[in-house]
Amino acid sequence: MDWRPTILSGGESRSDDQIMAAHEPKAAKRVSGPGLTGGDGEPLVIMELLQRLRVKDVMRDHDIISVVRTDTMHFAQNLMKRNHISGVPVLEGKRLFGIVSINDIILALEGGWIGDACQKHMATNLVVLEDDMPLAFAIKYFQNYTFGRFPVLDKNRDLVGIVSQRDVMRVLMRELTNELTKLEGRHAASPEVGPSSKSEAVRPYYSMRQFIVVRNDLSNAGKAANEIKKMLGEAGVEKKIIRRIAVAAYELEINVCIHSLGGTITFILEDRKATVIAKDKGPGIKDVEWALRDGTSTANEWIRSMGFGAGMGLSNSKRVADVFDIHSTVPTGTTVLCEFNLPEKA
Amino acid sequence: MKIADIVKTLEGTLVAGGDSDRTVGTVVANDLMSDVLLNDGDDILLLTSLASDQAIRTANIVGAMCVVVHNAKPLPQTMCQVADTLGIPLVSSPLPKYESCVRIHDFLKAEAAG
Ligand SMILES: Nc1ncnc2c1ncn2[C@@H]1O[C@H](COP(=O)(O)OP(=O)(O)O)[C@@H](O)[C@H]1O
Ligand SMILES: [Mg+2]
Repeated sequence: MDWRPTILSGGESRSDDQIMAAHEPKAAKRVSGPGLTGGDGEPLVIMELLQRLRVKDVMRDHDIISVVRTDTMHFAQNLMKRNHISGVPVLEGKRLFGIVSINDIILALEGGWIGDACQKHMATNLVVLEDDMPLAFAIKYFQNYTFGRFPVLDKNRDLVGIVSQRDVMRVLMRELTNELTKLEGRHAASPEVGPSSKSEAVRPYYSMRQFIVVRNDLSNAGKAANEIKKMLGEAGVEKKIIRRIAVAAYELEINVCIHSLGGTITFILEDRKATVIAKDKGPGIKDVEWALRDGTSTANEWIRSMGFGAGMGLSNSKRVADVFDIHSTVPTGTTVLCEFNLPEKA
Repeated sequence: MKIADIVKTLEGTLVAGGDSDRTVGTVVANDLMSDVLLNDGDDILLLTSLASDQAIRTANIVGAMCVVVHNAKPLPQTMCQVADTLGIPLVSSPLPKYESCVRIHDFLKAEAAG
């Protein structure tokens, strides 16, 4: 088991963007495929789990065994041997600089540079996961690469954990068992409950869809919001609430389309709650408070000529939502969350 | 005021989305989609100069009953397709938006007066 796609030894220190660039476009496309969204209306428990669970939910974030750049390859070798692991991250504080794998050790032994500092021979072209990616991403990575584990970085590109296939399996099994128990409980209970089992037939226990929003693709912007509206209609949600949710989804979708480099709209429908999450991959908002104000906008003439850029989008979304949350980092990206309470069905 | 009344009053043509039996509840004249979304009214008649798919998608979000585009602006094929798919009556009128507003206003006033 190796840690990385190519063997690149003796790398110079690299910028963080390079690590991220190594994987992003490919993985982002894959996950949007029909297999993971569960098709129309009938999402499978496992697919929902893979979207709901995040990488951070399965990673190990304690006892990360690591070396620093000036440690020798020999030191790394001993560390790996003692702990039965096939690779160690090279860290400075929480910053990931590279990885030394068994392969690098073998090469070092053969080449006679086992006494050199790790920074001279570590791999620097790394494939990493982000801690808040859906677990579905991680599984795709394990399928697409041969590595047994991936380093996990947070928004600040700090190393926050390690994920192995075993970690994924362990948590998945646990969550699946929980879901199954819940489902069984529901089935057992429904004959006695009577009227409430009817409402459950109308509104599924919980479903989830994810939509890819492409930068500047205005001809498709609004499709996610319309799909979400349709889903809510089919689930029998009250019209006034559907409208509020659709307004937020639409504004956020348009924002991702016209202001960002692209991203996703995720919609989660639960028994008593609907959630819209817009997440993009940059460039982030410098002054969120300013952006939230009515009428503030950086939209250009082209965008305005298409009917957008009134500067009301974020404030509109905030106004209609029961819970509103926005996080933005330059240049990493923006995440906006809108939650809506759904009344108990009569 | 129904679709047929709108078409007649605005000297327009129903170009897509099909006819419907709905009645005008609220009139919104606007080219800014966020403003349209901000509106709380029901059965919105949207008077706009925006000839784009987004005008229709926005109308659908707020549950509009009809969209009118003015000045005989050419309507993109895709806009008509979206209107058909979402079932939102799309009317093309040769009138300027202001003239449209005045005529609709007069019609609704006369209607209310019986
Ligand atoms: N996803 C995003 N990525 C980057 N900037 C954004 C994003 N969403 C909003 N903004 C910034 O916030 C401003 C206000 O957004 P909004 O209230 O939706 O108004 P509008 O979209 O009409 O400009 C935008 O003009 C833009 O500068
Ligand atoms: Mg906006």
